[in-house]
Amino acid sequence: MASATRPAAVRERVADADRSVGRLLLVAAGALFWGWLVVSWVNRWLGGVIVPVGQPLVPPGAVEATFGAIPGLAAYAADAAFVVELTPELSRGTWLTVVITAVSLFVGFLMAVPLAVSRVYGRFSAWISLGYTELLRGTPLLAQLFVLYYGLNLASYVPGAFSGVFARDVVWVAIVGFTLNGAAYQAEYIRGALESVEEGQITAGRAIGLSKLETIYYVVLPQGLRYAIPSWTNEFVYLIKYSSLAAFITVPELYYRADQIASETFRYTLIFVVTGVTYLALVLTASKLMEGVEDRVAIPGLGAEREE
Amino acid sequence: MSDDNDFLRVTDVSKWYGDEKVLEDVSFEMDRGDVTVLIGPSGSGKSTMLRCVNRLAEAQEGSILLDGEEVLSPDLDVDELRREVGMVFQGFNLFAHLTAVGNVALGPRRVLGLSETEARERAEAQLERVGLGEQFDSYPAELSGGQQQRVGIARALAMEPKLMLFDEPTSALDPELIGEVLEVMHGLVDEGMTMLVVTHEMSFAREVADEIVFLDDGRVVERGPPEQLFDRPEEERTGRFLERIASHD
Repeated sequence: MASATRPAAVRERVADADRSVGRLLLVAAGALFWGWLVVSWVNRWLGGVIVPVGQPLVPPGAVEATFGAIPGLAAYAADAAFVVELTPELSRGTWLTVVITAVSLFVGFLMAVPLAVSRVYGRFSAWISLGYTELLRGTPLLAQLFVLYYGLNLASYVPGAFSGVFARDVVWVAIVGFTLNGAAYQAEYIRGALESVEEGQITAGRAIGLSKLETIYYVVLPQGLRYAIPSWTNEFVYLIKYSSLAAFITVPELYYRADQIASETFRYTLIFVVTGVTYLALVLTASKLMEGVEDRVAIPGLGAEREE
Repeated sequence: MSDDNDFLRVTDVSKWYGDEKVLEDVSFEMDRGDVTVLIGPSGSGKSTMLRCVNRLAEAQEGSILLDGEEVLSPDLDVDELRREVGMVFQGFNLFAHLTAVGNVALGPRRVLGLSETEARERAEAQLERVGLGEQFDSYPAELSGGQQQRVGIARALAMEPKLMLFDEPTSALDPELIGEVLEVMHGLVDEGMTMLVVTHEMSFAREVADEIVFLDDGRVVERGPPEQLFDRPEEERTGRFLERIASHD
């Protein structure tokens, strides 16, 4: 009620200040998270130039001492030190999570565009696209990974050029699995967006002598893909989290490492809270990133303008 | 075949949508540089007739000879045909993701294969021609309806067409914006452009048309020079249509 009695301008300024404090905290948290991750990765790649490989960037003892010195935080000193001790393993796992997600998403996108175009504008190819999409969306992702890993034993067929890029070739199996599956979901999002491109746009393209494919490429896709960004971001976010299924085919990504440490230390709650927060940070980064992309490619009058 | 007297010869064109016959034995001719205006009540088939000329609609029977070539031939390269026949739409249909220049340059760049610079130069020249020298980099949503339609005309002109089709170019415009579009079309007439126009703008038709074709129910009811058709219509239906139109003005 108090705020209702203030003049509107003041209320607005307070709200603005609240928002900018929130934004500042988010940016600070993001910087800490990504700073820690990247420095850990670089340290490992360069063979331990900052701290010995496998050691946390900050000594757990120092963290424990700092927490211990602050009244109110002292009770969490041991937990804090334990979390810091986990960071080398978790940051290694996060690297694989990030790489698997990014590569699968990118290659999946390259597959999804022709799938969606076939579905909307193809004849025979529309059926192939529909069959593919329904099969991949209609069966459990974990089952698909098992077929690739156990059934087809794909890990032993990784071509020479790809073999050895990761410590274990099974990473490629996960990438193939997520690519094939993600392509189906991405295709669905893109299909919906293509269908919302006005028919008159195609007519106009054809009327100046562009072929059907050229019209799709130069007219429909530039609009449709812009429309697709918000819903496509869902798939990005899902994939970050679904990539944890790779743990079940022994890919040592974030979830796998968290699970291993937990079964050794029995600190399940603490470890999975930290892991969960790590996924959350990745997800928030992804959605902020895509908001940025959406703003960058925005065209006046095209698609629904997002509210500020 | 291609003598000057039959630049466009439409002969007995018929078209069905399912069981419904929307065009029945439509015939008319145009010389190079002629302006022919198709008029008629809505649903009379005039837009469909226009679209048959660049094959956006497919006529099932008859013949359309353009510059001596059979437009309805199944062997015809439609994209090639459309390169030479410009079209302006009632709803503008500007490419929503491209600026004015981008809209006009797309055809020259991707269809005619001009370089980026050449295509841009041509687009700018065409936009100047329709009086939009200040709006090169505006997106369609930032332009008024009249400006959008002029971009639409520039887009068609940039292909250097030998025939321009106008499908009710002013019907979607607010009354105060119609004038600027008609002015551009007047300019094209003066330059000797061959134009086939579907419109309800009767005063424009009277001023510029060499021939008026009145369609009703998919058939040509009457055709002739504007003075004859407007002032001394031979058919009763023509007279009634013109009266109805006039009472709306």
